[in-house]
Amino acid sequence: MLRVCPDASGRARCQTGSVQPAPAILIVDDHVGFRTFVRSMLEAAGFTVAEAATGGEATEAVRTIRPGLVLLDIQLPDFDGFEVARRLAAGQGGDPAPVVVLTSTREASDYGGRIAGSPAAGFLPKDQLSGAALRRFLARDRA
Amino acid sequence: MSRRLAVLTAGAIAAAGSLAWSGWPPHSDYLPILICYEVIGLSFLVAGIAAWARWPASRLGLLFTIAGYLYLVPYILVNLANPVAFTIGNLSQGIYTAAVAHLGLAWPAGRLRSRFECGVVIAEYVTAAGFSVAAIVFWNPAFSGCDASCPANVLLVGDGSRPAGNAINAIGGFVGLVLTGIVLTLIVRHWRSARGWSRRAMIPLIWLAGAVGAEQIVTGSALDLPLSSLISFGLAPLVMLAGPVLFVISTVRARTAGGALGAAIVDLEPGASPGRLREALARALGDSTLQLAFRRPDGTGYLDTAGQPVEVDRPDPGRVVTRVVGSERAVLVYDQGLELEPQLVRLTAAAASMALEHSRLQAEVQAQLEQVRASRARIVQAGDAERRRLERDLHDGAQQRLVTLSLALGMARDRAAADPELGSLIESASKEAREALTELRELARGIHPAVLTETGLAGAIQALVERSPVATTITAVPAGRLPAAIEATAYFVVSEALTNVAKHAMADSAEVTICQRPGRLVVEVSDDGAGGARPEGGSGLRGLADRVASVGGALRVDSPPGCGTRLKADLPCP
Repeated sequence: MLRVCPDASGRARCQTGSVQPAPAILIVDDHVGFRTFVRSMLEAAGFTVAEAATGGEATEAVRTIRPGLVLLDIQLPDFDGFEVARRLAAGQGGDPAPVVVLTSTREASDYGGRIAGSPAAGFLPKDQLSGAALRRFLARDRA
Repeated sequence: MSRRLAVLTAGAIAAAGSLAWSGWPPHSDYLPILICYEVIGLSFLVAGIAAWARWPASRLGLLFTIAGYLYLVPYILVNLANPVAFTIGNLSQGIYTAAVAHLGLAWPAGRLRSRFECGVVIAEYVTAAGFSVAAIVFWNPAFSGCDASCPANVLLVGDGSRPAGNAINAIGGFVGLVLTGIVLTLIVRHWRSARGWSRRAMIPLIWLAGAVGAEQIVTGSALDLPLSSLISFGLAPLVMLAGPVLFVISTVRARTAGGALGAAIVDLEPGASPGRLREALARALGDSTLQLAFRRPDGTGYLDTAGQPVEVDRPDPGRVVTRVVGSERAVLVYDQGLELEPQLVRLTAAAASMALEHSRLQAEVQAQLEQVRASRARIVQAGDAERRRLERDLHDGAQQRLVTLSLALGMARDRAAADPELGSLIESASKEAREALTELRELARGIHPAVLTETGLAGAIQALVERSPVATTITAVPAGRLPAAIEATAYFVVSEALTNVAKHAMADSAEVTICQRPGRLVVEVSDDGAGGARPEGGSGLRGLADRVASVGGALRVDSPPGCGTRLKADLPCP
């Protein structure tokens, strides 16, 4: 079982009355530097974080870790984020499927209608990434 | 050759003159016969001149000339008021038939083909001369109604003997008939074995042989028809006349062959296949068996235009090989008889050489053009690939780092809440980083639209239209993926057109239509603006036309002033 609310900055949020622990987040990105950075940012925001570098690793990690949200880079070395999202939605990572948020250094318009056509919950440009933005996706999912 | 011709012509004129002079003043009854002899004898001399001019390498001209003199001279001698001349003239009157048989067997090269044929010809001469000598001994000119004004027959023995003369003439006629049969049989065999040009060249002879055969049978001693005198004095001269006349006519027709050759080559369409060239040359030469052969690329032999092997070093009997000048690979193989027409063969080889050179140059230019087209397409495709790579590098490298930087600055700003000055400093740094990221994204999109790679034409055009400042509608765009080069070209056409609409057209609205037709993709962008755009004017449209041409398409710009602009690109699309 993964620990939640592990550190100082997260504690404040836990103390402000969040009964449910913040869910685990799986970062899928082939850039190690970016993963490391986002991990520290999200851990600071109170999330438990796991990492995967490829689409294949991602489905495997979802099956074992059962994260609440997958932050999925569209550009991956094996198959792209759209394909990973499709596989997860098809239950390849176990049931229920996690919330999938696609991300990229590009903008949503660079992917035309592919994002809308994907089973992912939404798209977040990497430069707008934050714990708060991810919480909004989770909140929308619960609603 | 010209000296020979001059001598021949002078001889012919002298012979004709002598005949006219010797028979002058003409006895009214003999005038038509005199004219007849003169015309026939002269026709042989004219045919001799024609044969010498047409086939200098053949002895046919000589044989025609000999036959002509053997025909004319005895009549000149007979008309001279001299007993010796009169006797020789009468003696030699029939020998021309042997010369005509010789001519027929030696057609068209002027050479006899075998010892047997030589024997037949010698027999012809010996028979004609021998029976004449035997008969003249018994021939008293008075038997033929010749009165006292005739010169005497110096060889006459006693008063002569009509039955003996008739008997000798009858035997001579029979032997002559047998020999004529042999000669005609041999000529028919020559005709049957001849191919191509030689066969054509024998056409006048076959007519003549047929006529001579018919005449000989009719006038032969075995038959005594009521019209025999009419046949002897009417039909026989006409048959004799037919030979030289037919030959001269065929010569005149052959003279036009040079012209036909020119026409055949001119009519040949550019880049005609070697097969078509062979047909044209064969028609012009009158040799249907003509072969145009090319050395195999590996140098192991020759193939004709039908792909059949051709023996060039040891040609089949009756065939001759000539190399086409200027071509290391091509040869003409044709009927041996054509050696009599070296000028025509030279012209044909030259025409073949020109046509092949023309075809070669055309093929070379075509190949070069194809190479240039292919290399242009490769250059454009390489450019596209390079642009895709640059965009991806920017995306993976600088963009990624700027994103991380931007996020880090955001975190730093959050943590610097206690120090407003530091917070504001970090905020402005963060803003700079975000703007740099935005600019970098625009730059990357300009280098290559990621959306095109990601989603294909439909998504990419949608993205273009969404960013266009002029209200633009998409009436049609194919949903599926197309070849990358075509997608990129169609995208850049629409992109450049919409940029122009926004910059120059002063338009309220624009419309994009991309239709897939069988084998084609038609891209159209139209607006309701000021018009007046000139494809040759702006470098944008010029470059776009080049880009469209690089994939084998065509760009058209209709832009009448005041009536908007319609830009249409027609692209090949499998």
